[in-house]
Amino acid sequence: MPSFDGGHYFFTALVPVCNRGIVEHEGMKSSPIHMVREALETLPTALQSHAAEEVGIQSPFARSTRTHFCRLVVLDQPFYNGRDRADALLSALEGTDLLKAQAHDVLACPYLLVMIDFDPADPSGSGEPRAYLEHLWGLMAEELRAVFTYCYDFSQVRDAASFADFLLPCEVETTMPFNDYWPGAPPLTSISTLLLAALPLTGLVLPLVGAAMHRWSWGMGVLLGIALLILGLVVDYFLIMRRGGKPFPSADVPLPRVLKALYLQQAFTRFAATQQDGDPAAAGAAFRGFLDAHRPDDLAGPTQKPAVIRSLFPGAAS
Amino acid sequence: MSAALDLADIQGGILRAYGRQGFPKARYLFLNVRDPAGGRAFVEALRPKITTAARWKNPDRGEPLLRTRNPRVKDVVRAEGVPDYPGEVQLMKPRVAINIAFTFFGLAALQVPTRTLRGMPDEYIDGMEQRAALLGDDIWLDKRDAIWRNSRGEARVHILVSLNAEMNPDGTPVAELEAETQRVRDLCAASEGGVALLKGHGPDQAEYQEMSAILREENGAIWPTNKEHFGLSDGFGDPVFKGQLSGEAERLRVVGGGKILPDQSWAPLATGEFLLGHADEAQEIPGAAMPIEFSRNGTFMAYRKLHEDVRAFADYLDEQAARYARLFEVDHAQSRETVQAKLVGRWSDGVPLIAAPTFTAWQQFNAELADAHKREDKPKLAQIALKFTDFTYRGDPSGAVCPVTSHLRRGNPRDMIGPRFPADPKTGDGSVLVNRRRILRRGLPYGRYDPAAPSADREHGIIFLAICTSLFRQFEFVQQQWIQYGLDFNAGSDTCPLVGNHDADSKLVIAADPADGGGSSGAGRPFICDRMPQFVEPRGGDYFFIPSMTALRMIGMGIVDPT
Repeated sequence: MPSFDGGHYFFTALVPVCNRGIVEHEGMKSSPIHMVREALETLPTALQSHAAEEVGIQSPFARSTRTHFCRLVVLDQPFYNGRDRADALLSALEGTDLLKAQAHDVLACPYLLVMIDFDPADPSGSGEPRAYLEHLWGLMAEELRAVFTYCYDFSQVRDAASFADFLLPCEVETTMPFNDYWPGAPPLTSISTLLLAALPLTGLVLPLVGAAMHRWSWGMGVLLGIALLILGLVVDYFLIMRRGGKPFPSADVPLPRVLKALYLQQAFTRFAATQQDGDPAAAGAAFRGFLDAHRPDDLAGPTQKPAVIRSLFPGAAS
Repeated sequence: MSAALDLADIQGGILRAYGRQGFPKARYLFLNVRDPAGGRAFVEALRPKITTAARWKNPDRGEPLLRTRNPRVKDVVRAEGVPDYPGEVQLMKPRVAINIAFTFFGLAALQVPTRTLRGMPDEYIDGMEQRAALLGDDIWLDKRDAIWRNSRGEARVHILVSLNAEMNPDGTPVAELEAETQRVRDLCAASEGGVALLKGHGPDQAEYQEMSAILREENGAIWPTNKEHFGLSDGFGDPVFKGQLSGEAERLRVVGGGKILPDQSWAPLATGEFLLGHADEAQEIPGAAMPIEFSRNGTFMAYRKLHEDVRAFADYLDEQAARYARLFEVDHAQSRETVQAKLVGRWSDGVPLIAAPTFTAWQQFNAELADAHKREDKPKLAQIALKFTDFTYRGDPSGAVCPVTSHLRRGNPRDMIGPRFPADPKTGDGSVLVNRRRILRRGLPYGRYDPAAPSADREHGIIFLAICTSLFRQFEFVQQQWIQYGLDFNAGSDTCPLVGNHDADSKLVIAADPADGGGSSGAGRPFICDRMPQFVEPRGGDYFFIPSMTALRMIGMGIVDPT
């Protein structure tokens, strides 16, 4: 599956960190990756827990109403899990010298794993992820600088465009995006299994029929049948892969719609609770009042702030 | 084929609840070990008195099925003349059951080796106070009893000695309870400062936590009940696991108590969910503190003192009932009972909503029960007994009968959180996502209140004991995810309406049956209990390890050998 899927862009990048020498700061001498970790660990998280609410400092990613999720992870080294598994008897027969260490791969430097799920500026996804990266630089250049400053080639970054230039070569394809906005199954068409079965089977059967009708020998018929069977399976494989490579259809839920939905859920629950005691004759007017106050169709109207755990209404718990 | 459990090696009170075995009175004593040798001598002195799970004879037991108001499933088995408990009878029932359990720091104080201690699970090492944020207890820490607030240094709780006692006809505990309490005091005195009894329970700084079943007076006699202070009957749906019961009792009690298989039949849960050293629901014997004989047949227990704000509960029910009565055009008493039942999942006498969905159905259920009692119709009583536990939520996916966020459905969601619920009955997932989250609920109420003037802050509540082999996976998960959160029930951040933390936004949504249709009488409309006040507040507690008799001997003799 591609990075652009379900109407959202799932950006994944592996950015090498130049972990050479020391960084002098506040009277301490630390390794560059130590500084990266410190920058990440002191980056505020979203106000999505009661503990974070108490702290009250919002994540810089919340400045964008296009960001759904963001994760930044330091990859030091892949964990070495020991020698490849082998059957002890086979190893003995093969004369494997267990005292000779097996080679295992290591990373030449630490990497910063960047994963951001965001809304494309254009619903078709064209111009992404460059447009988003430039947009992000405009909102949180200082924080991005603190995180990426020790990465190779960050010295070239001057502005939004050069930040995108710096990050884009590090992008890897997202092969398993997380689509959570389809309330039911999306309208997907599947390839007919009949067609998939028919292709190789026809390939197998036709040469045999030809042999039975004495067009060619049985030996030729069997050989040709097997060859066409394999060809049919190869065609099936490409048919399936092409279909699988198509992006998931868009559920059309950019972040502002998610926020509005969360807001309306909370507002309507409160409305429903207070309306229980109301005069049924006045219910219509009350609901019109609710619609006027909360404007369900108006994404620019009252809504929930990004990256918070709840909307605050008058009289709500604090 | 599963091997029979070594009953004489397992401490009492785990396989069956003392409260329901004729021990309506209890005292729980907490001790601090100041000298390892003195502590071990204390354990050794107490060890011969410890009550085990071995079967006993009870000469005072009443007539099965007729002896209690609500017939019990175990009595169904007894009425058939079949024992409901495994093993041979070689003992008489004691007047006082004595048991012992340890906190992590208690085991360390008794010099259990580091290698054994480090095999203990994180949450047990942390103890309940450290886990407060996860449990939702953090906002109540200052309201704990002094014994828990001060549980550090030389006042740290190390040992729990529990005394569960029989009752005199006048409702007082048998004299043996005070005698056994005095024995513990004497052992502390004899230890010359090695072991100290810690005071600080309740407003009077009592030296033990006193508990008692709520008593009922009838025909001049006093009877223990299964009520708690809110007036609710408690303790029906306890898990049933392999080895816990005799064959016939298991066959009956597994229905509603065991796990639900995909074909909708019931089976006992794996022993390892409740006793260490046995295979669990993950089909393995989980890691435990070494040596394995130190862990096997032992288990963990969360002790929680839960204050019940009887006045807030009564006032809130009255207020919501008034509203409900207005909307649904029924009288206040019916409204109050209905709102309460929707909150709990059972009617006040324990009849499940699933068995009696409406007030009228409940009245009818009870009329049938009273009639069966009058006629001493044991087959009918046996049939009714099963209804208290034999149900699933397949027929009520929307919660129109029993709200999905009611206390009952939260504590044990049975079949309702399977990914294919409520699909075709033959292709469901049973209770597979719930089987690793079950706990044995034990405990008794404490304190008293005047029903005529229910109070908010006086000393009354329940001592809640949760027994399981992984406090983290079982007790803490249920508390954090199902009691203090609602996502598994598609109810967002709603907490348990009965025992959860409540703020100004707390609510319980009583869903309407879509088939009910609208109407002026309110049928077909949902009811939202909003702005719920706090009903239950934790007053402290801790996590304990209940060792087997083998482990207890090793602890007492100082010979735990993990190598």
